Parts: sequence; C-alpha cells; structure tokens
Amino acid sequence: MMFSSPWHYFTDPVLQAPTIGSILMCLASALIGVIVFLRRRSLLGEALSHASYPGVVISIFFIATFFPNARDAGPLVVMIGAFCTAVLGLWMIHKMERRLKVNNDAALCFVLSIFFGVGVLIASRLQFTHALWYKTVNVFLYGQAATMTDIHIYLYAGLALLILSSVFFLYHPLKITVFDPDYAKSVGVPFKLLETLLFLLLNLAIIIGIRSVGVVLMAGMLIAPAIAARQFSHRLKGVFGLAALFGAFSGFFGNYLSVELPQWGKNQGWEWKFTLPTGPMILLSASCICVISLFLAPKSGIVQRLLRRARFQRQCQAENLLKHLWKKGDRNFIAIRDLKAGSSYSSWRLFWMLFKLKREGWIDQKGKQIALTLDGWKRASHIVRLHRLWELYLVHLGQGVEKVHRSAEEMEHILTPDLEKELTELLDNPSEDPHRQPIPARERPL
Amino acid sequence: MDENVPALKVEGLSVNFDTTSVLWDIHFEIPQGKLVGIIGPNGAGKSTLLKTFLGMAIPISGKLECFGKPLKKMKKKVAYVPQRSSVDWEFPITAFEVVLMGRYGKLGYFTWPKKADREAAWQALEMVGMTAFADRQINQLSGGQQQRLFLARALLQDADLYLMDEPFAGVDMATEKTIIALMDKLKVQGKTLLVVHHDLTTVDAYFDWVLMLNTCLIACGPVADVFHADSIMRTYGRSNALLEEVVKLTKNKTSGMQ
Repeated sequence: MMFSSPWHYFTDPVLQAPTIGSILMCLASALIGVIVFLRRRSLLGEALSHASYPGVVISIFFIATFFPNARDAGPLVVMIGAFCTAVLGLWMIHKMERRLKVNNDAALCFVLSIFFGVGVLIASRLQFTHALWYKTVNVFLYGQAATMTDIHIYLYAGLALLILSSVFFLYHPLKITVFDPDYAKSVGVPFKLLETLLFLLLNLAIIIGIRSVGVVLMAGMLIAPAIAARQFSHRLKGVFGLAALFGAFSGFFGNYLSVELPQWGKNQGWEWKFTLPTGPMILLSASCICVISLFLAPKSGIVQRLLRRARFQRQCQAENLLKHLWKKGDRNFIAIRDLKAGSSYSSWRLFWMLFKLKREGWIDQKGKQIALTLDGWKRASHIVRLHRLWELYLVHLGQGVEKVHRSAEEMEHILTPDLEKELTELLDNPSEDPHRQPIPARERPL
Repeated sequence: MDENVPALKVEGLSVNFDTTSVLWDIHFEIPQGKLVGIIGPNGAGKSTLLKTFLGMAIPISGKLECFGKPLKKMKKKVAYVPQRSSVDWEFPITAFEVVLMGRYGKLGYFTWPKKADREAAWQALEMVGMTAFADRQINQLSGGQQQRLFLARALLQDADLYLMDEPFAGVDMATEKTIIALMDKLKVQGKTLLVVHHDLTTVDAYFDWVLMLNTCLIACGPVADVFHADSIMRTYGRSNALLEEVVKLTKNKTSGMQ
C-alpha cells in the first residue's frame, strides 16, 4: 500500500477529527501570527506558549487528582488552565517592562524560562504520582493531533471561528492600531481595548495551537505562514489570506505525514519503528512553504533576484558590443573575426550575442561581416551619450578626469531617461566630454 | 461655530512624564484661522503639547478648550499628522490605504469603508499630487511622498484644527512647497494649524503666529511681534538648559536611581 488519499482524511471517522482540528488550529494561529509578525513582536508568541505550559500541567494534575474519571471535561479544563498562566505570563512581561524598566527581550526570556521551568517541575512530580496522566502532559510538548476527539473539534472550531471573525469584522480598526498607534488614538479608535483584545486573541490562538503543535514549536507556527505570505503580497488583506491558506495547508499536511509516514515505514517492512508527533511535522510543512516562498517570491525571492541580475549582465554585454561596433566603424560592415580579436568573450558566447542582437534588429549580417542597423546605431550612440554625460558630471563634481571612466562604464547601462534629462539640464546640454570627445546629441522624440 | 471663539485656549497646563515636568504652567490662546509654528529645542515638550491636545498625554493640571468646548467633545474636529518616523514603513499597505485611514474615525467598529470614503480618499490623494503612486507599497515612496500621504490622510478627516508634528523633517523641496501651499489653502478656508517646526530661518516666511516653547511657554503671538532675537535666545539659551539639568537630577533622586 502506498499513501492513502488526502480526501480520506476528511471522511474517515477516526481521522476526521484530528485533520479538521489541526487545520482550524493552524489557520487561527496563522491569522494572529500575521499581526504579531507585523508588530515585530514575534518572540512574544514564544514566551506566551511556554507560559501556558504550567497551566496545562496544573490542570491535568487537578483532573488526575480529583476527577480521574471525567475524561470528557479534560480538554476544556486544560484550555482554561493554559489560558490563565499564559495571561499571567503576559501580565508579568508587561509589568517588568513598565515598572521595573527591564528590556523587552530580557523580560520575554525571563518569563519563558521561569514558566516553562515551573511546568517541567510539576510534570516531573506527576510522573510518579499519576504515570498515566503524565503521558497526556507530554502530548502538549510536541503536539499530537491523532488522539483528538470530537469534543476537541467543537472547542477548537468555536475558538478558531472567534479569531477568524474578530480579524474580519475588526479588520480596519486592527489595521490602523497595528500600523500607526498614535494616529489611531487621535481619530478615536479605542486603542487600549483593541490592544487588550489582540493579546487575548494571541493567547487564545496559542492555547488552541499547543494541542497539535506543542508548546515548544508554537511560535514557529505563528510566524512561518506570515513570513511566507509577506513575500507574495504587499497588502494586508493578501497577507492575511495567504497566511491563512498556508497555515491551513501545513496543518493538514503535517497531520497527514505524521500518520502516513510511520505507516508507510511499517508497510515497507522496516526493522525500526518510529512515531512522528504532529507538531514537528506541521512546522516542517510550514517551514517548507516558508523556504520555498523566500526562494520564489516575485519581488525579493532569491531565484528572481539571480535571474534579474543575469539579465542585467547580459544587457550590459550586449550594449558594450553595440558601443564597440559604433566606435569601430559607425555603420560600416566589420568582419566578425576582427570583433573576436578585440573582445574577451569566447567564440560561442560572441556568436550567441550576435545572434540575439540580429534577431532583435540591432545589427545586420552579410556573410562574415556585421554592421549596426539604424536602430542599433541610435541605441549605441545613446549609450555613448550617457557614458560621456556621466563623465562630465563627475568632473563637474570635482573628480579627476582620469578617474571617471570606470564609473561611467557602469552608469551608461543604468541611467534612466529622467536622470538623463536632469543631467542634461544641469550641465547645460554639453557637446563635449572631459576627454574632448563629442557627446552625441539627444534623440528628439518624433 | 462662532468665529470669535479661540481655536485653542490653554490655561495653566502642566504635563509630567513620571515625576519630570515636560510642560510647566502653560497659558495661551490661539484665534481661529491662524497658521502657527511651534518652535523650541529638542525635549522642549513640543510633541507632548500636541499629544496633550489629542488626549494621548494626560495633564496633571490645567484646562484645555477647543473652539470653546472641552477637548473630548471636539475630537472629530481635530486632525493629527504624526512624525514620519513613528510608523513602520515596511508594513504591507498601499499609499491609498494609508490615506483611507483618515475616515476610520467616522467608521463604526464592524464596518468597512464605503465607496464614498474611497472617492474622498482619492481626492485627497489628488490634492497632494500622489495619485500616480496610489497602489505603491509605502516603503517604495520617498520621504517627501510619505509625508504627503500623512497630509492627505489628515485632509480626509475634514477637521477644523490640524496638529502637525514636524511635517518638514527630511522632505525634498518640492514636497515642502506642496505642504506650504496646502497649509495656506487650509488657512484661507478658516482652519487653524499648529505645526511643530525646526528650521528657524523659515519661520517668518511660513507662519503668521509662533508659539515658542521650552518646558515653559516663552512667547505666543504674531510672528512680527514675538519672534525676535531676545525671545529666541530665551527659548534656546542656557537658562533653560539649567532647568533641564535640575529636572533630570530631580527625576533620578525621586525615583531612587541615584
């Protein structure tokens, strides 16, 4: 058997609950993550998710001691506990910053480690008193969607919906609060109320998320979809939409992999068995999306940037060749062999460049000779014009005449028509460059 | 609205930051339709003064009146242009959306801007000559263009009192001219403008009133009457630097840091 169909995960009664649960959780945390990310408070998520851990442990301790049979009430009690300590953590960070003037990062770090430490301490006690329940506690460390039931789903669906609708209905007030707090206050947007709401929503997203992603990895789940989405959109709506999509996708896929991969290994007849917690798999999926986005993003993606750079290099080479022809023979035919002798390109490279220039209509070829077309000649003289204008400008600024050539070699490919116009005006439409060479006249538009 | 009521009336205003005085017993009155420059050295409380009018800094004493009414009731009539450095220009938002924020004060909680709001935003964008950049992400704009956006956003609020925090900081000449032209236009319409300003050489060219501040109020009145060497000396001179030092010392002592 190979992997089972993804659709199966939405229909199968056992798999359905964890699948939908993870998707909703990741969607909610991705939405809140966008806000946290844009406010440049990404680490807050990390601190608060760790701060929720002692709450989880204490509630489980509480249930194990007093209501060991009330398994159904478990999820709710755990969530309330987690929420309480997360809010306590938030309050402590706030007070440390305001009252004690501790730096933001130090306060976050302190709360993170103290709360997590307390959680671990209580958990280690639980290990001896209620060994069975200790397992449940561990689920929250790295997340485990597989054991989720319908009760979880209803709870998480409700909370995820709350987050979703808050973001939708309060979109504009939230936007202005995050973007420009001072201005928001000045137009009467209730800044404090929205801030409080935001923090509450963040806490909610975290306590929803830790069940499937785990305390340790929760911060990554908040941020990764936001980073990926930001690469593709420069509008808040787009960032929210894409982040939600990426979040939901990684929620599903992480859950899928964590169930399928061990199964697959077993079917292959592997000696060693393994289980995959959901949290790391979800986060791995989200990180994959994030890395791919960073590579492929249309504006700032690495691939695009390399392509653009290569294109610019080719443009420079082609323009240098045109310039060379212009200087050598104006519009007369020149043997390709002579051209080859004077350039540093390989014959293959040169052949390719000539082929392209010919195809684009800048040069003509007759047998083994080439010449500029009228268009090619115009373009070449324009490049020379830019080159000489720039040289003159640098000399005008006080540079030595012998030093300006190199810079102009580069700028001739970069200067825009607007800059050319400004240079021409500044230098009073000059006719000679610092080397006493004529500057070709500017093309008059028809 | 009665035209003889002062646009702003401030009586005995003091603002503290922790236990340090930022503004100290300020009294002044500004008539309607004036273009007022607020000048003073760094840390003189210029921005704080604006923030007090906006309700962002809470005074420990004093009375503020805006068009003869308490400030809280007049919030809709006041437009604020914050310092350009106060926001994150990497934020995923277009120029047009920034301007549209000018209407957020009028929007309720759960509503989205309507078509009329968008039209108005477009017109405001036109007034500052920025329609060509409407769909640009804001970090692709120059400093001057960013400042114009803030101005357009304030125009959209249709206010009677404009509070501008250093609109000329780090902008190009073209923008400076645009801003000045707009300010004059607003003044002609009877609006009152308070502008925090740094460049002393342009004060008499740009403003008709001036408010000179250095924790205490040094002078407030028509430029021709109060803006002269003596008052400038008192605003920027040593006497106030001394006060600042004492204030700082007090802060350290009372908070137990020294």
